[in-house]
Amino acid sequence: MHDKQFMRETVAEGAKAFKEGRMDRRSFLVLCGMAGIATQSVIAGDAEAAANEIVMWNWGGQSEECHGAAIGDPFTAETGMPLKFDTSGPLQGKIKEMVDSGNVTADVCDADLFDAVALGPSGHLEPIDYDIVSKDRTLPQYALEHGVSIILYGYAFVYDTEAYGDNPPKSWADFFDTAKFPGKRSLYKWANGALEGALLADGVSKDALYPLDMDRALAKIKSIKDDSLYWGSGSEAHSMVVNGEVSMGMVWQNRGRNIENDTDGRYKLVMNEALAMPGAYIVPKGNPAGREAVMKFIATAQGVPSQLTLLDCLGMTPSNPEAFAQIPEDQQPYAITSAMNIDNIVYNDPTWWGENGGDAVNAFLDAIS
Amino acid sequence: MIDGAVSGGLRLKALTKRFGSFTAAESVNLDIRRGEFLTLLGPSGSGKTTLLMMIAGFLDITEGDILLDGMSIAGMPPEKRNFGMVFQGYALFPHMSVRQNIAYPLDVRKRPKAEIEARVDEMLDLVQLQDFGHRLPGQLSGGQQQRVALARALCFAPPVLLLDEPLGALDKKLRVEVQDQLKDIHRRVGTTFIYVTHDQEEALSMSDRIVIMQKGRIEQVGTPEELYQKPRTRFAASFLGKSNFLTKDGALYALRPEKIDIAPKGAGQGPNRVSGTVRAMTYFGSVLKYDVTVPGMDEIEVDADAWRGGAPLAAGAEVDLSWSDAAAVRLERD
Amino acid sequence: MNGSPLRRIGTGWLLVLPFLALVVALFLGPIVNILWLSVTDPEPGLGNYAALVTSDNLVGILWTTIRICVITTAFSVIFGYSIAYAMVHVAQGSRNQMLSLLLVSFWISVLVRTFSWLMLLGRKGLVNETLVNIGIIAEPIEFMRNELGVLIGMVHYMIPYAVLPLLAVMQNIDGRVLSASRSLGATGQQTFWRVYLPLTRPGLVAASLLVFILSLGFYVTPAILGGGKVLMVAEYISVQILVTLRWGTAAMLAALMLFGVLALLFLMSRFMKLSTIFGGAKA
Ligand SMILES: Nc1ncnc2c1ncn2[C@@H]1O[C@H](COP(=O)(O)OP(=O)(O)OP(=O)(O)O)[C@@H](O)[C@H]1O
Ligand SMILES: [Mg+2]
Repeated sequence: MHDKQFMRETVAEGAKAFKEGRMDRRSFLVLCGMAGIATQSVIAGDAEAAANEIVMWNWGGQSEECHGAAIGDPFTAETGMPLKFDTSGPLQGKIKEMVDSGNVTADVCDADLFDAVALGPSGHLEPIDYDIVSKDRTLPQYALEHGVSIILYGYAFVYDTEAYGDNPPKSWADFFDTAKFPGKRSLYKWANGALEGALLADGVSKDALYPLDMDRALAKIKSIKDDSLYWGSGSEAHSMVVNGEVSMGMVWQNRGRNIENDTDGRYKLVMNEALAMPGAYIVPKGNPAGREAVMKFIATAQGVPSQLTLLDCLGMTPSNPEAFAQIPEDQQPYAITSAMNIDNIVYNDPTWWGENGGDAVNAFLDAIS
Repeated sequence: MIDGAVSGGLRLKALTKRFGSFTAAESVNLDIRRGEFLTLLGPSGSGKTTLLMMIAGFLDITEGDILLDGMSIAGMPPEKRNFGMVFQGYALFPHMSVRQNIAYPLDVRKRPKAEIEARVDEMLDLVQLQDFGHRLPGQLSGGQQQRVALARALCFAPPVLLLDEPLGALDKKLRVEVQDQLKDIHRRVGTTFIYVTHDQEEALSMSDRIVIMQKGRIEQVGTPEELYQKPRTRFAASFLGKSNFLTKDGALYALRPEKIDIAPKGAGQGPNRVSGTVRAMTYFGSVLKYDVTVPGMDEIEVDADAWRGGAPLAAGAEVDLSWSDAAAVRLERD
Repeated sequence: MNGSPLRRIGTGWLLVLPFLALVVALFLGPIVNILWLSVTDPEPGLGNYAALVTSDNLVGILWTTIRICVITTAFSVIFGYSIAYAMVHVAQGSRNQMLSLLLVSFWISVLVRTFSWLMLLGRKGLVNETLVNIGIIAEPIEFMRNELGVLIGMVHYMIPYAVLPLLAVMQNIDGRVLSASRSLGATGQQTFWRVYLPLTRPGLVAASLLVFILSLGFYVTPAILGGGKVLMVAEYISVQILVTLRWGTAAMLAALMLFGVLALLFLMSRFMKLSTIFGGAKA
């Protein structure tokens, strides 16, 4: 779940609107309805991976178009191998089940970097071949043994400009201060981002976040529990804000633009202290296309043109530092690693999450329910 | 008598029921006397149930009125009328024991426990089901269920008891047995019984008076004997018992088969005599039934006592048929 | 002659045997797998089950689940009963219309219904906006994003499931039994409580069990309308399988649900036997 939901929701409904910078509420709802049906029908078509093609396991929606255009086209041009898709969503549990069952049908998963930490040591993933994949074309801390970050997304928040007027909230400390900034809040249901935000609000410094002090974080979360709603999907996060259910809402940062547009600017995105999440490509153990082919595919995805196409098409920020400077002007406020934001963001530690995520999620659920 | 039924006289005044344009009961006038056993007899669809349901209060009256002891009850809901009712199929409460079924009318009237228990015992005695009080209806035979329904309907001493073909589901032998019991119970409780059947023998043997119905109208009302001996219409004559019909001097007469003497040709006597040929003879044990063709008339049916007279006449025999003047009843209308 | 029906049954069994084996394998296999997992993952033993006693967390989730399911069942069956009753007592034409409406609701995606509730009863939903605008209330009423919201959404979803078994039972009730009650002096109300309600009890039991069991597995509606604060077992199991990889815990909870449901079904079968005794008296 975690931040997979981010990708699912983004690709399912956001891509086009993101590009155009506009999506009204009605069509948004229609999309929500269709997603309920569409995901199922998409799941039905299992992709069969074979040695002469790459099967990408991702989250459906616009992904075929965007991943195809950004990575598939250049990769096929170079190697002659086509790119196919399994759009059922590579949740950790599903990857584990696929590898355990011995029937591996996917070559590369559009996942989180902490998945690489959670599944790698137990032998469910192929190690990344850094002779083919470049460590320099991603952030240094995000080139791990079993996974490499291709894009970044993040947790930021939006606030209601009419509620707070001249003295708007600027940090997680403000977000968690319901006395000074009265009103409802929304947070992510599966702990990610929420815990970090809570600790930052409680005075923990950016560099001393990890290992997360769970007790302290949960105490902070509980302190605003009565005023909090929790969302499990991007569309939910979006609708909680757009429908005026909350005055401040934690969101995936690339939704900021949609929300600002949908509310005619009433809600505004705050990127200060946004938590950067490394979205990563990981390879199930024994992938059908073979390790070398899939590593070439991942290397292609690191290329600057691919990175920029992903940003344009899905709103996902490049991980490759070479691309940072080329982020277009209009995307800068919403991109994690744009010159505008890069100094104010906080970096997620995938190793801590990979090793402690399960306990953290359960403890978080216990605290909020 | 178990209860002194103090009321129970009913008057139906021009009672009419229409379903849309269809008239199921048309201007029925009838006085039902206190304590009598009155039977509504008629073919299927003649409006018997309709009439009963209007009396019970389950059907709204289209026109006319119903008076109980002189007071109109036309707008009264069924539960206020205090009429007992035994339904075709009995309509026992399947989830209640026999005792609970019988106690039900007293229960809903919130009578004291002790009174209810005593009364239920009394009713179980009346219908001879003392040992079955704790069974569920599903564990009883049809005749037993019928008696439970009767006990339940009588338990609260209604002035009027309505019974809609209560014996219809029983086999012939059991039916005769229960008929006797029913008559006996009627004598003992003194309640007015309004009884619906389309079985003429049942009607004849049980009733104080019979109402013959056809197409929503009353055809004739009278004691069984009156109706049998003096039918006023062709329908009454043919529906209650069998009858031959003759026309004489432009008038129509009904002639019961057993009132005709049959003799070999030339041996016939009496004021009214015709000659004919036996077409068929059927042997019924006590009775011999002859179908006789008479030139210029409808075929005539004759019932002859089997034990009287000589050897049966065979088909093809030439015979004389004769009857007394009193035997042929002049009908008022066709 | 005597043996032939028996023999026919015998060959019948032989014919269905392969399918029976397949069904057993397909159903029993996964169940055994789940049971096995619940006592072996992460380590052999009853540790997963012990957590039921030691973990307040799990007990809380189970309690929430049961509470919500019981309340949902109660309201769904009460509303379902009224609807079924109305359907039985209107003219045939309207009954068919009502039935179509009921069945159409099966087709509407649960996600659409859930979001429709938000549009209607949310903080800035139609109802709250209207009430605030005409000045009846100052602050919006919190219908949604809490347990009340979950209950509203779930009851709405479950009502058709409650109506169908009740409708079946009500349509089979002999109207003469009700008339008999009236003729014996019972008012309409008395007739309802003493005769109609007991006669519909098998339908009530069937509807309650059906709704309760379906509610146990409910997931989307509580997740969204509960604002994240109402966590039910089904969602928790899915999280343990897909996200936290605590498959042992998930298997234990699944096994618990399975046996809970089986116990309920056992009760239902007992009850249904009783009802056939009742039903036998109708003829
Ligand atoms: N609810 C109704 N709507 C329309 N017509 C009806 C209705 N109830 C009865 N009828 C009609 O009224 C006529 C009399 O019906 P009723 O039930 O009184 O007959 P019955 O004499 O009791 O017949 P049976 O001996 O078959 O019970 C029948 O033609 C019947 O079809
Ligand atoms: Mg009838």
